[in-house]
Amino acid sequence: MPEREVKLTIGPQHPMLKEPESFLLTLRGEKITDMTVRLGYNHRGIEKACEQRTYIQDMYLVERVCGICSHSHSTCFIQTVEEIAGLAVPKRGLYIRTLIAELERIHSHLLWVGVAGHEIGFDTLLMYTWRDRELVMDILALISGNRVNYGMNTIGGVRRDITTDQIPQILSAIDKLEERTKYYIQVGTEEITLRERLSGVGKLSKEDAIHLGAVGPTARASGVDRDVRRDDPYGAYGELSFDVITDNHCDVYGRTLVRLGELMQSYKLVRQILRQLPEGPIVVKAPRKIPAGQAVSRYEAPRGEDVHYVKANGSDKPERVKVRAPTLANVQVVAHMLKDGYLADTPIVIAAIDPCFSCTDRTIATTNLDNGRTDRMDWPTLRTYGIEWYSKQGIDFTELNRKLRTMRESN
Amino acid sequence: MGLVQKIVTWARIKSPWIIHFNTGACNACDIEIIAALTPRYDVERFGVILKGTPRHADVLVCSGPVTRQIKDRLIRIYEQMPEPKFVVAVGTCACSGGVFNGCYNVEGGIDEVIPVSAYIPGCPASPKAIIDGVVKLLASVDNAAKPARELVVNGT
Amino acid sequence: MLVEEEKIRQQLVERFGLPAEKITVQRERRIWADVPAANFGEIFDYAADKLGFVILATITGLDEGPTLGVIYHIARESGIILNLHTSVPKDKPVIKTVSARFPAADAYEREMVDLLGMQVEGLPPGNRYPLPDSWPAGQYPLRKDWKSDTIGKSEVTENA
Repeated sequence: MPEREVKLTIGPQHPMLKEPESFLLTLRGEKITDMTVRLGYNHRGIEKACEQRTYIQDMYLVERVCGICSHSHSTCFIQTVEEIAGLAVPKRGLYIRTLIAELERIHSHLLWVGVAGHEIGFDTLLMYTWRDRELVMDILALISGNRVNYGMNTIGGVRRDITTDQIPQILSAIDKLEERTKYYIQVGTEEITLRERLSGVGKLSKEDAIHLGAVGPTARASGVDRDVRRDDPYGAYGELSFDVITDNHCDVYGRTLVRLGELMQSYKLVRQILRQLPEGPIVVKAPRKIPAGQAVSRYEAPRGEDVHYVKANGSDKPERVKVRAPTLANVQVVAHMLKDGYLADTPIVIAAIDPCFSCTDRTIATTNLDNGRTDRMDWPTLRTYGIEWYSKQGIDFTELNRKLRTMRESN
Repeated sequence: MGLVQKIVTWARIKSPWIIHFNTGACNACDIEIIAALTPRYDVERFGVILKGTPRHADVLVCSGPVTRQIKDRLIRIYEQMPEPKFVVAVGTCACSGGVFNGCYNVEGGIDEVIPVSAYIPGCPASPKAIIDGVVKLLASVDNAAKPARELVVNGT
Repeated sequence: MLVEEEKIRQQLVERFGLPAEKITVQRERRIWADVPAANFGEIFDYAADKLGFVILATITGLDEGPTLGVIYHIARESGIILNLHTSVPKDKPVIKTVSARFPAADAYEREMVDLLGMQVEGLPPGNRYPLPDSWPAGQYPLRKDWKSDTIGKSEVTENA
């Protein structure tokens, strides 16, 4: 059968609608030769809104740039404002902020492991990681009052303190999570099926990761030794010790190992934070009007480097707020990762940069350049295609699903 | 255990197939919707199935304040669903635009674009509130032999 | 303490004859420099090639009234950020792309095109970002004189 170039579009939900697509793939047979990305479906106009609202109102708005790493955006924004205002956040406040930061990393990475499992047909992994994740959701709700969007920050520190009776509960949850994560690491390193499925997929060399500007676990899995917590410390990180996890696989397998390794580091950090938690106030009073000035702040969100810039003009509203979320850096690298890969790799490679869900709620359209016919698939259909395609290559998760279920149920 | 009993009751009446659509949300509600499907809350055992296509869905579970880019898609999805169909607006943004109300690229709540049967506020709406809202919606449909009225859920 | 930061500052002042007050070390790991558009390119290249600023964190565009400002936030592996600011007249807001050296700049530059009306020379053809295709021309949301309710809710939809 002659190979033809086919353009495949991963676009929004509906199969039969002609619309601007998110991801346009060019195929030769089953291999991807090119890809372009179209973004903007989530563009809400937050930066403009920030200029029209007070700093306190903006705190709540910026927290909702992304619900999965809301504390990341909130803290990064507030750090910037505090720097302009010359506020010295009390140490205990910084430690609490950092505690929430690591708990957020834990929930986010566990979420990701589950989503990754789902994309390749390893669904019991989704069920168990999300069940484990509930342990950290409970802790976040205990400390902050909410499972998601914690509202812990205020300008000058944090709004709620950690009480002594919360500490053993947090430590107990961390102990349980560490045990379970060790098991996922074992599965990740020892199970051939998983290794074969993820190895060599979504390749990104170290040189390309650097040149294209990849951030976070995506970059670290290509051997790029960068982590804002160590390189440009903020919060309490200057006083904490932890390892930056890198890996040299340069593929989705590496990205999985990095996130699992980071989970273990986060457990270590949470224990350190609680052990070293200084006494004292948790907040310092902030002025309503922030003096004219500007600052830039970076934060290592679960997905990578988050950058906020704020310009103040002496009023109670900012002159300019700029947010560069980590996904924007990484999504520009996806095209490169998918080149020379298989169509069947698309769901897991996109998932492996840990993008927002809305990026992945998309429809795929196929344009056959020979006869101009357009077919469309939705994301779940592409996922099923990928799972079945690999199944034909001998990589099937039925057995591993059964095995994981048996082992967990017997505990 | 009241909630479980309610779920078991309506599951006998109908097992709704759900389609989930994000109209520009921050994802907080989306992960709580999916959490509702996972072991702790696990609505699947009651027959609630998440479908990938609107053609087979009874309930459109929607999050987000509806960005301009996504609006047409939302309408098409709604049009593709067979009757009887219901729309659940999950989260404060889906109810009214939430914190994004007034932003230049958002419409506001889901009901600016399509009719909504049930509103579940919260930022985000918790899995319990989501389940409660879907249950209330279907119970009201079953009780009244007419299309669902608007319901507001006070859940946590 | 701020030895490295001061060294960078000195190098830029000496090499490009920049007025001392236009480059400040704000704190550790933060340098701010305000440079004329005319020699922005060579300063940027020098910082990236010779001073080790190999990470492009992001690019911020601003409405400064008569001018549009651009700040390139570039960083060293060691964490020092050099914030390079320049301005172009609003009635002729032309800058050159840096996407050949930093491919990631593509999204940041397109953002300034869409939201501020910046013109970026040398940007390869591609989709606009982040506004919808049917957004009316000449409407730049991040400009100070643009009101959020300028475009009615149902006026702009994605598809014709």
